[in-house]
Amino acid sequence: MTNAPMIDLRDATKNYDDGPPALAGVTLSVAFGECVAILGHSGSGKSTLLNLIAGLDKPSSGTVTVNGTRVDQLGEAGSAKYRRASIGMIFQFFNLLDDLTVLDNVLIPAQLAGMGKGEAKRRAVELLGSLGIDRHGKAYPQRLSGGQRQRVAVARALMNRPALLLADEPTGALDSRSAEDVRQLLLDLNREGQTIVLVTHDVQLAATTARRTIELVDGAVARDVVNGVINDGSAVSR
Amino acid sequence: MSALGGIVRSGVGRRRVQTLVMTLTTFTAVLSSVLSLGLLTAVEAPFEHAFKTRHGAHLAVQFDGSKVTAAQTTATAHAAGVTEAAGPYPIAAALDTTVGADCPETGRAGHDNHPITVTTRPGLGSTSGMDQLVLTRGRWPTSPGEIALPANNYADACFGSSVVFSSLPGKPSFKVVGFADSVTNSATGFVTASGFTRLTAAGAKSDEQMLYRFAKAGTAADIAADKQAVAAAVPAGAVEDGQSYLTAEQQATGNAKAFVPFLVAFGILGLVLSALIIAIVVSGAVASGMRRIGILKSLGFTPSQVARAYTAQAMIPATLGVVLGTTVGNLLAGPILNGASQQLGAANATIPLWISAVVSLGTLLIVAVTASIPALRAGRMSAVQALVVGRAPAAKRGQTAQRLASRLPLPRAVSLGLAQPFARPARTVLVGAALLLGTVSVTFAVGLGTAFSKYQDTTMSSGFNVASKIVIPTADVNVPWGLYGPDDPRHPYLDAAKVAAALAEVPGTKAAFGWGESGATMVGAPIGGEPPVVYAVSGDFSWTNMELLAGRWYSAPGEAVVGDKLASAVGIHVGDYVTVVRENKQLSLKVVGINFDTHGTDYSAMTDAATFTTAGLTPHIDQFNVELASNVNGANWSASAATALTPLNATVQSNSTGKALVVIIMDALVALFTLMLTAVAALGVLSMVAQDTRERVHDLGIFKALGMTPKQTIAMVLTSVTLTGLIAGLIGVPLGIAVEKATQTPMGNAIGRHLPPSVTHVYTAGLLLPLLAAGIAIALLGALLPAGWAARSRTATALRTE
Repeated sequence: MTNAPMIDLRDATKNYDDGPPALAGVTLSVAFGECVAILGHSGSGKSTLLNLIAGLDKPSSGTVTVNGTRVDQLGEAGSAKYRRASIGMIFQFFNLLDDLTVLDNVLIPAQLAGMGKGEAKRRAVELLGSLGIDRHGKAYPQRLSGGQRQRVAVARALMNRPALLLADEPTGALDSRSAEDVRQLLLDLNREGQTIVLVTHDVQLAATTARRTIELVDGAVARDVVNGVINDGSAVSR
Repeated sequence: MSALGGIVRSGVGRRRVQTLVMTLTTFTAVLSSVLSLGLLTAVEAPFEHAFKTRHGAHLAVQFDGSKVTAAQTTATAHAAGVTEAAGPYPIAAALDTTVGADCPETGRAGHDNHPITVTTRPGLGSTSGMDQLVLTRGRWPTSPGEIALPANNYADACFGSSVVFSSLPGKPSFKVVGFADSVTNSATGFVTASGFTRLTAAGAKSDEQMLYRFAKAGTAADIAADKQAVAAAVPAGAVEDGQSYLTAEQQATGNAKAFVPFLVAFGILGLVLSALIIAIVVSGAVASGMRRIGILKSLGFTPSQVARAYTAQAMIPATLGVVLGTTVGNLLAGPILNGASQQLGAANATIPLWISAVVSLGTLLIVAVTASIPALRAGRMSAVQALVVGRAPAAKRGQTAQRLASRLPLPRAVSLGLAQPFARPARTVLVGAALLLGTVSVTFAVGLGTAFSKYQDTTMSSGFNVASKIVIPTADVNVPWGLYGPDDPRHPYLDAAKVAAALAEVPGTKAAFGWGESGATMVGAPIGGEPPVVYAVSGDFSWTNMELLAGRWYSAPGEAVVGDKLASAVGIHVGDYVTVVRENKQLSLKVVGINFDTHGTDYSAMTDAATFTTAGLTPHIDQFNVELASNVNGANWSASAATALTPLNATVQSNSTGKALVVIIMDALVALFTLMLTAVAALGVLSMVAQDTRERVHDLGIFKALGMTPKQTIAMVLTSVTLTGLIAGLIGVPLGIAVEKATQTPMGNAIGRHLPPSVTHVYTAGLLLPLLAAGIAIALLGALLPAGWAARSRTATALRTE
């Protein structure tokens, strides 16, 4: 593991119209192997922050560097290739393709990246097996439970062995049991060294999943807490 | 503005692409329909009207006065099938004339005029009976020195001057006191009885003419049978000529009528495509606007108001398209109709108003019905259902196709696109139908355009048009063509034998032949229209690509080959005899062949120059066509030839040919309609793919989030229409070929031609293969823009779309 951060945002701002910025001069960094939760209410800028890191959007000003790549300077094609290679994404509503089987959904990132057919299938089957849903490979997503669908989404996100896993409200559409399963899954992945950025409004989820929590208010970092300690060294009263 | 009006206006304004598509489709449909129906009516109506009001004769038969008595000709009124008869009238046919020296326009005085067929009838200006003659200027002749002619048989500037029957020994002169004609050109000169006596006294041969109307006279076959029935009632060989009203109609309407078959085909294609595209666009608007419909209904719009709103969103651009199409159609028809009108001596014709009205209202009705079907569906939809229904296709459709496509050894973006059409089968069928019609149009147009080009090439690159160099009398250099008629003493000619010998000695000469208008007239040729030309030809012309349709080329004096248009008009077949007259000498020629006439005249025949020399007449050769050997420098050859030809009063010139105006106009119309129909088909695809892209924006966002590049997105969208385009091409090309074949024959018939295989066989393998790709090409053209939009769509926004 190097000393350089995995994610490095410097004074990142995002404006959409004449109103207040969605993100206002955010500076933060995430180390390799960290699990960070981004907390905030609706409209706080947490999804915007995630989109900037994923290269789905560009900052109006400031820089975004992920794993040494200046994501803010990438074009459309470059941004897509960056996501294939470095990012796995998990969404609140799973974002699976209903007209593809579970296996085909999982294979998509590898196929887009040009991975060999055999290698891709082996990797997909391995991931589905490790997530306990290998028997659903030929099923269509609408036949699965919410928890199972999110597991499929996790498998898809991990297909290309991404350096960074981004989860946007991963338990928001799940029942408590399924949510707990997904939370445990994320913990297991982080223990194995996966760098994770988790966006949520659920304080409990953030506290029990991530070692570090960054709270956004009105597009700015309000608090940055690591293991109960504010990132400037002072303790946090819970 | 009412609430409904506001909804309609916003609907039209928001969907600019769909609005443009609907405007363009109706414009195309109306333009082609107005042109085709309007031309058909406007072209035929003047002649039909004139024939009816003037009680025209179906057939005018000329009998040889030396072989039949007046009583016998009168008795033919009772021949089988005859319902009415008039005559016999004395007639003197195909008399050469010149403009009198008293014409005030010196450029015309003394020059050749049309051959004239003269008759006299009691009561020339009678308004009862058959074949009523009409005076358009001046008065009827009242004395033996006066004559009335059709306006197009005498120079307008010379009206009131004289016309001289130059081929008659007595060269009698008549003063032109009136312009008058017969609707079927039964005769082209009208004199008093005493005037006719003057003609015969001056040497004109007097025959008998009878006019007939028949029970069955609708087709050329009917007229041929009727003529046979009449001929059977008189001694053999007594019938010299039969002038059919159908020939006169074809002379009056021919070129304009030739436009009609392909305009009708485009009109039908345009109307069907319009209806299809309207259906695609409106049903698409309904499908993608379900949430909007739900909101409207929840606000209190009734089902009827919702249905009317969506119908109106189609009617507004359609009305604009109808207005534009009608206006442009009427403007475009003008130049085409003018020719036909002038030939009938009528004021310039326009498309009848009722045609524009019927086409406009009919198209709007089709649009209203087509748009109302999905609009009524929108109206009947429940508000709740409309508000909550998802925008993605039902998951069950397309899953099997996706599963199978994922196994194909293709890039993933491509296989995703290939399976896409199966998710919305009904929409795919509609798009496929639009592509099918587009392919049919392109195939039809390419075939038609190729046939036009081949017709043009065959016309311009065969026969008398073929030459590396031409040789003409030196006195003819810079003299306007046709200034002096064939029998005019001022018309210079070549010494054919000496010129031929001189050319043979010039190095680099590969072949040469001489030709010219003999000046002979043909007995029994159609009266009216252009007079037939009898060409005298000297030498070998086998290198000029002239095409025989029947029989063989002449091989001896006294034989002739007749052009196909003349043969059809008169009913000449191989083996028949035709009589030509020059300087009052009658020569009987045996027809040994019928050729595809490319000489540029309406009616023609060819015979060896020796036919005339044998009869003691000069053949009138006034041009040699020369083919140079390959790799011969034309300028050097011209210099060498000049040395040999100058003493023979002959000059070398370069050959030049142009394109017939009617072919240029046809080519332009075909290109215009093809572009429009292709554009409409492509816009239909664009509309559908754009809607598809809009509905699948969330899925596109997922793909992009997973790493699909813009190029892969474009490939996926383009591939989604490729299979449909391919199938459309495979079906559309044979259909397009069938439409082209169905159009060619009526077009040829309209201009009186039997088009040879060299013109009609257009679909070679080299042409078919690219045409098979036409469906794919149109599909890709339509999908290109939406593919770009899909590639550029903001992923973050797309993912938030639920």
